[in-house]
Amino acid sequence: MTAKKGISLALLVAGVAALWLVPSMGVSDSLLNLLILMFIYTMLASSWNILGGYTGQVNLGHAAFFGLGTLVARILYTGGRPLFLALLAACVVPVAFSMLIGIPAFRLRLRGDYFTIGTLALSQILYITIGNVLPKITYLPIADIQNYQLGPRYHIILASALFTIGVAYALVKSRLGLGMVAVRENEDAAESLGINAFAHKLLALAVSAFLGGLTGGAYAYYQTSYYFNYTFSPPWSLEPVTMTFIGGVGTIHGPVIGAVFFVLLKEWLVMKVGEYHLIIFGVLFLLVVLFLPGGLVEAWERIRRVFTHRPAGKIVLSPSAEGSDLSGNSLASERKEVPMI
Amino acid sequence: MLELEGVYAGYKDLRVLWGISLRVGEGELVALVGPNGAGKTTTLRIISGLLKPTAGSVRFYGCSLDREPPHRIVEMGISQVPEGGRIFTGMSVEENLELGAFTARARREKEQRMKWVYQLFPRLEERKNQRAGTLSGGERQMLAIGRALMAQPRLLLLDEPSFGLAPILVEQMFEMIQEINQQDVAVLLVEQNVRAALELAQRAYVIENGRIVGEGSGDALLSFESVRSAYLG
Repeated sequence: MTAKKGISLALLVAGVAALWLVPSMGVSDSLLNLLILMFIYTMLASSWNILGGYTGQVNLGHAAFFGLGTLVARILYTGGRPLFLALLAACVVPVAFSMLIGIPAFRLRLRGDYFTIGTLALSQILYITIGNVLPKITYLPIADIQNYQLGPRYHIILASALFTIGVAYALVKSRLGLGMVAVRENEDAAESLGINAFAHKLLALAVSAFLGGLTGGAYAYYQTSYYFNYTFSPPWSLEPVTMTFIGGVGTIHGPVIGAVFFVLLKEWLVMKVGEYHLIIFGVLFLLVVLFLPGGLVEAWERIRRVFTHRPAGKIVLSPSAEGSDLSGNSLASERKEVPMI
Repeated sequence: MLELEGVYAGYKDLRVLWGISLRVGEGELVALVGPNGAGKTTTLRIISGLLKPTAGSVRFYGCSLDREPPHRIVEMGISQVPEGGRIFTGMSVEENLELGAFTARARREKEQRMKWVYQLFPRLEERKNQRAGTLSGGERQMLAIGRALMAQPRLLLLDEPSFGLAPILVEQMFEMIQEINQQDVAVLLVEQNVRAALELAQRAYVIENGRIVGEGSGDALLSFESVRSAYLG
């Protein structure tokens, strides 16, 4: 491990420890609530990013996984089952559901748009169905509301968020993660290298649904009351996409940065302009996609490069790449790009 | 080692291959030449399993490939270098090579294999931490071939390795293909650069409109009148 890595790791541990100790510092409940929202949105974005960011399968129905997580956890928990069991079920049920769309779409090699539209349709079907079947507000049990404390909830949700980021990190650093990125970059080329694209896409979908469900479970444990179908509503599908792109799609820290930024800006905008914040986020999302496809992570890289005057890490063309023949002799006039068709 | 017999194939309503039969022997270097749209790339896609034949059979060491998915075919020892290389431009050179050794069989000897690829293409080692998208055309093609070699193929399928390369690079590319072939890797080479391909290959097939219309040693086809008039001018 290099010294720089050691310092980063130490900072990370210190940051997590500080976050863990926040509730015992006598801070206001509203700060705790704000942090909890950041954790939940971090989980939402990170879980979406595994499938949408790393594997390139754009899911516009993440609310289905999140909503199923809240539904299952809520029913089990208010029915008196232990919290752990409720959270576990909240993870497993969305995985089973995700296979409904994943297996047919990936097996038939329905690429891109078909999968995206399928996820959107399924989440809308759930949204409407749940709204008709369970039209009532759901409350936590009376005893829970009487003794409601933010502290323990804060810790469980923080732990869930760390677990989510940890799983995402371990996955994308593994061989499977490399395979997922290869599938995203070029499915045919990936297949021609012996990568089973179907299995990789399905795995990414399952992990994304699992963690999306956990996010829902955390939300169901945190919120005292909401309408059952609220957690299936479209914003829960669209916000993870927005956050991930603003932060930096296909990176581990991107969704975290995006979620923190999103929560802060949203809280502020909602106070200032109310529902119009949706328009502002829509425009922001378009601007990021058009002009800063790497999100805030990329913006930071660019700024750092300007200040350190360092040639950009991997992205720069080294001088000898400008033109050379196969054995390394300079051949400035013969440089030709192979079109990637 | 590889045998195609009476293979018909196409896309949707368009039939591209009309009963292709060809074979590649152990360690052989075979060229498949023909004009644009004749079905050369489709033939390679059939062998690598990216496209399934509607009729006919593909056999590799006697095993039928008809039902095998592409990733299994790679594991059995056939690697394809797609046209244009299709390297992963967002990843580093080394990551591209690592992905080449994705199958369980290839992973076991990844380190040695990578050394060998770096020996073949020293340029790749110099650039191993560089993003593959920053490579020049020739380097990209090297990377694509190196990546395919990482899978320890016994048969290498090359789709237009000279495509988009300057003439001097083409010559070097063909020398490298020969060198790889001498390391006991059979090669099936698809080329539009007919003369160079026929000079290099031990045997060659000429394909036109989805049918094999000529077969013979590279030299024989070079002097073959219809080939001369059609491709060599």
